[in-house]
Amino acid sequence: MATVDREEREEFLLDEKTLREIDTMKGAGQWSIVWRRIKKDKMGMLGLYIVLFLILMAFTSWILLSFDQFLTDRDILFGDPNNSISLNNLYVELWVPGMPKENPIVLFNHPRYQFADQAKLPPSFEHPFGTDRNGQDMLSRVFFGATVSLALGFLGQMTTVIIGTFLGAIAGFYGGLIDEVLQRIIEILYSMPGFILMIFIIVLFEDVNIPGGRYAVVVIFFSLIGWGGTALIVRSNFFSLKQQDFVEAEKALGASDMRIIFKHILPNSLAPLIIIVTLGIAGTIFLFAALAFFGFGDPNAVSWGDDLNKWQNDLIEYPWMPMFPALFIFFTVLGFNLLGDSLRDALDPRLKD
Amino acid sequence: MSLRGFIVRRTIYIVPVMLGITLMNFTLINVSPGDPVVVRIGLIHCESPECYNQAYNKEAIEMGLLDREMYTVPWFTRYVDFVNDLLHFDLGNSWYNTQAGEGIPIAQIISERAIYTITLNVISFVLSLLLATAIGVVSATRQNSFWDRSLTIAMLLGYSMPLFWLAKLLMLLSFSLFNFTGVANKDAFRKPLFLNPAFYKYLILPTLALTLGGLVFMARLIRSQLLEILRQDYITTAKAKGLDNRAVIYKHAFRNGLLPIVTIIGNSLPGLLAGSVMIESVFGWPGLGTVFLEGALFRDYPLMMATNTIFPLLFLIARLLTDITYVFIDPRIKY
Repeated sequence: MATVDREEREEFLLDEKTLREIDTMKGAGQWSIVWRRIKKDKMGMLGLYIVLFLILMAFTSWILLSFDQFLTDRDILFGDPNNSISLNNLYVELWVPGMPKENPIVLFNHPRYQFADQAKLPPSFEHPFGTDRNGQDMLSRVFFGATVSLALGFLGQMTTVIIGTFLGAIAGFYGGLIDEVLQRIIEILYSMPGFILMIFIIVLFEDVNIPGGRYAVVVIFFSLIGWGGTALIVRSNFFSLKQQDFVEAEKALGASDMRIIFKHILPNSLAPLIIIVTLGIAGTIFLFAALAFFGFGDPNAVSWGDDLNKWQNDLIEYPWMPMFPALFIFFTVLGFNLLGDSLRDALDPRLKD
Repeated sequence: MSLRGFIVRRTIYIVPVMLGITLMNFTLINVSPGDPVVVRIGLIHCESPECYNQAYNKEAIEMGLLDREMYTVPWFTRYVDFVNDLLHFDLGNSWYNTQAGEGIPIAQIISERAIYTITLNVISFVLSLLLATAIGVVSATRQNSFWDRSLTIAMLLGYSMPLFWLAKLLMLLSFSLFNFTGVANKDAFRKPLFLNPAFYKYLILPTLALTLGGLVFMARLIRSQLLEILRQDYITTAKAKGLDNRAVIYKHAFRNGLLPIVTIIGNSLPGLLAGSVMIESVFGWPGLGTVFLEGALFRDYPLMMATNTIFPLLFLIARLLTDITYVFIDPRIKY
């Protein structure tokens, strides 16, 4: 009797890795399992921290710039917000209790504030990232540039994913002619290098006058031509899911097509979408930075790509001018890539090494 | 069906896609705000309104927007004309690149410059493929070793580095080490090109940058693909048979892992082409990418139309070659 027991137990003996995995899953829902898996991945957590830090930075700088008057009225900011060249308009200031209130430590300046006699200064205590040719503090430029750089990446990627999901869902669910037409369109969009097509479009639509300026054109056309990849993935997901029993049951109950698509099939193909969004934001930020770098951005905007474009030829003489915006683009892309890779491993453990 | 039949079918398939692409380019130009004729005359100096009107009409007729009787030509006729010209390899004249007041034919510009782009891209593509294979194999076979970890981190950093910035950093590094920025100048392109030592000197940095750009992308792919395959049962069988490691990896694992790698690399070619545009522009390499970017900055519509037709064509041809290589790699594929 004892030997049989032992044999049986040996058959189910699991290796340490699997046991650990089971331990992770104990008593948890799908999303908390994913979260626990990410928490175990050091690189993924690093990515998450980078992304959170950047989002916080972008959000803070956005609030400071857009609620300028409001914050000044409440004595949180000093200076005259309507006069960006006024000497008193130094932006984020740290007042340490006990020090004179008229002379606080300046953390960030207004991104457009020019120190008349302090151009081209290397990094120092006063200007940690140095100053550029116009005498603007690079740290402030980088800090306030986060808003545009990140917001464009988010907006662009979210719109492509929404369009792609919608079209992919329709094509995958109905199949037939719609699917054929959509696939041909994707084929055409896919064979154009995105960077080159975007430049072509930006140049053609240079004269257009819409709120938001040139970057609005960039985002709109990016989402119009960039949805192909998402649509293909969602479509193939729908193809496999629509034959499952729960869809059959839903149909038998008389649910409408839209209800089946958006309430039942779509939530089941959420995992690839999350991965597309995270990794895609990295790609989008990179694309927009590249466009700006080659002179197809908005030269008046405060963003990392445009600063990089302005100072790219100063790299050898004044390396700090282009280096810091470039470094922040690099960190952003790195953070989203790390987080995306980790999310992919967590959402789809079969792919894990 | 024979292999030849398959190739012919795939080649014919390029035609509708190209038609779609040209139609898209054409529509984009037509729906864009602003008058292309005004953009064109922006480069011509005119003081009196009569001179301006004359120049306007002349340009409009030349561009095919108006016919000889000053009637607007419908867009459909213009599109047919455009495609007809394309089929005769007539890409029009450039607006920005001029010689003695006349625009240089774009077909001529492209045939002159293509050699630079092709040299740069072919060399760096082959180099990055070879290096990526080596790195992928080293990483996958010694998973979690010191080499694997450091290579993976290096690949990740390189993957997140914007390619144009990588090129700039290479430039900075080379400047501080050898006092040589690698920005191409005239004597690099003296004919005969391939016997000119300066040409190779200026080829080094762009090739290096483009190689690194492709390398980081491919090495990640090859590593994960090989890891996936090395877990399969038939690899264990091959090892159990007593085959040495080399035979297991190159005969059993690698050939099976090749197919998805070829697919993804084939599909990512537009990205690699865009990378080549960036690198060319940073180093002033006079290839198609620089021609395109310069044309774009000066709003040279015909040149942009032409490059926007040629890059997809190159991509479609590359994908055709990818599809044909499938047949040789995978005996299961029936054409």
